[in-house]
Amino acid sequence: MSMLEFGFMQRALVACTAVCIVAPLVGAFVVQRRQSLIGDGMGHVAFAGVGVAFLAGFAPLWGAAGFAVLAAFALWKLQRSGMSGDLSLAMVFYGGIALGYLLMHRSGMGLNSVLVLLFGSPLNLDWDMVWPIVALAGTVCVIVLALYGPLVAAAFDESAARVSGVPTDKLALVLTIVVGLIVVGGMYALGLLLVAAMMVVPVAAASQLARSYRGTMALGAAIGGSSAIIGLTLAFYADLTPGASIVLTAIAWYLLAAAVRSVALRTTSDAHASA
Amino acid sequence: MSEHGPDDHAAAAARRAERAPPLRRPAGVGEPPVVAFEQVTFGYGRIPVLREVNLRIAPGEFVALIGPNGSGKTTLMKLGLGLLRPTYGTVRLFGVPVQRFSDWARIGYVPQRAGAESAVPVNVAEVVRSGLAGRLGLVRRPSRAQRAHIEHVLDLMGLGPLRKQAVSALSGGQQQRALIARALVTDPDLLVLDEPTSGVDADARGVLRESLEHLLRIHGVAVCYITHDPAGFSGLADRVLELRAGRLVECADPSVHHHEHELPANGRGLP
Repeated sequence: MSMLEFGFMQRALVACTAVCIVAPLVGAFVVQRRQSLIGDGMGHVAFAGVGVAFLAGFAPLWGAAGFAVLAAFALWKLQRSGMSGDLSLAMVFYGGIALGYLLMHRSGMGLNSVLVLLFGSPLNLDWDMVWPIVALAGTVCVIVLALYGPLVAAAFDESAARVSGVPTDKLALVLTIVVGLIVVGGMYALGLLLVAAMMVVPVAAASQLARSYRGTMALGAAIGGSSAIIGLTLAFYADLTPGASIVLTAIAWYLLAAAVRSVALRTTSDAHASA
Repeated sequence: MSEHGPDDHAAAAARRAERAPPLRRPAGVGEPPVVAFEQVTFGYGRIPVLREVNLRIAPGEFVALIGPNGSGKTTLMKLGLGLLRPTYGTVRLFGVPVQRFSDWARIGYVPQRAGAESAVPVNVAEVVRSGLAGRLGLVRRPSRAQRAHIEHVLDLMGLGPLRKQAVSALSGGQQQRALIARALVTDPDLLVLDEPTSGVDADARGVLRESLEHLLRIHGVAVCYITHDPAGFSGLADRVLELRAGRLVECADPSVHHHEHELPANGRGLP
């Protein structure tokens, strides 16, 4: 029986593929700015937002989104105040995970609910949860593509971009908010701890083969989307956990791309040596 | 320090005429200096770096700024570009205080080549196009004329055949030319180069020098050239200034530093 005949697989494929295509588009800028772990940290903060939502009795997605946006502002302020990037990230993110755990314990959430948030549960999504995820991914995609030129300029050389009139400070804030949104969008599909991987790993894989920024983003999105489809297929037929399968598929893509690049470089240097 | 009256402009223009006549945008008498430092003092915390610096660069003028590592050259440049704020004093760009300056397309900035390192592959055309990002604003795409200008600048810097190449695959000199092309894509009036020959081999230095001569002759761009290696600008510079203990000292000759004198605090009396 084909996995597509099951409604839960259709919903999982739509949600995971949307998140995994868009995440590398954001990741291309995050990796270039050497903030590869920012998505992981935003997941920690979103965890605190879910705790607040459970305590206050509103939808966890909104709690996570609100906290992610607040964390983006806090990071922006801390970095502008002169605190080093790493240190400000650590302060906000460790605070987030501590607060999240404290609030969830207080709200009486069970361990299973916590695991769903941390590692995702795409097979349990209903359409009412899938559409907000797709909408978030679509919003992020539109923002990134609209701001593509200034984002590339600022990511490649922030000082030169600032001198040429690009509002680099505001762009840094927008990028951090966008990272938070994609983390929140992927919370139920891949989990707060795994979604950040899809921002970084497909970009790392695409960087092995592409020769341009645009090419890296396009190839990264293709690797992300295909990782979602292959990972979910493996999870369905081999009874694996879906989020982990998707991330491990992306890592397999990276290893394959690195091997192809290595062979290509060796072939090129052999050709030069024999010429 | 260097107060540029009409005579100063005339002297600078005469030197440029000896070099080769500019075909475009000659230094206009009465135009404000492209950059002016007025009694600028700056320090990192309590560590003073620059003391009461006065400097004016006229339109079309080539000024070389030299000094050992840590002398404050890059700090001076960052103050001039508005990336740092002076503790005391004023910096003006084209007559406008730098905090209020908004016409950034008139300035081309070429940072040290470390800026060419990229975690994500980026090709030469993308780097050059990124120079237009400030002029285009947040969502506009380059027009047909702007795309044609990008191609022109790529050809001008000898990068046309390399436009699809990843920057990381280029030689040091080619990377440097890509960064200069990015700075030129807005057709600036002032080009600021920070250590442009750092890590560049002798052949590439020669090509860079030819490119700069071409820019000076054809485009009449004012240049602020920051380096610890005088060989890169010898014969091109109208003035050579050295930073010593936070103060600017004028050197009469780029290669022989014997007719040097500290720039006077009132900013007058310099060629």
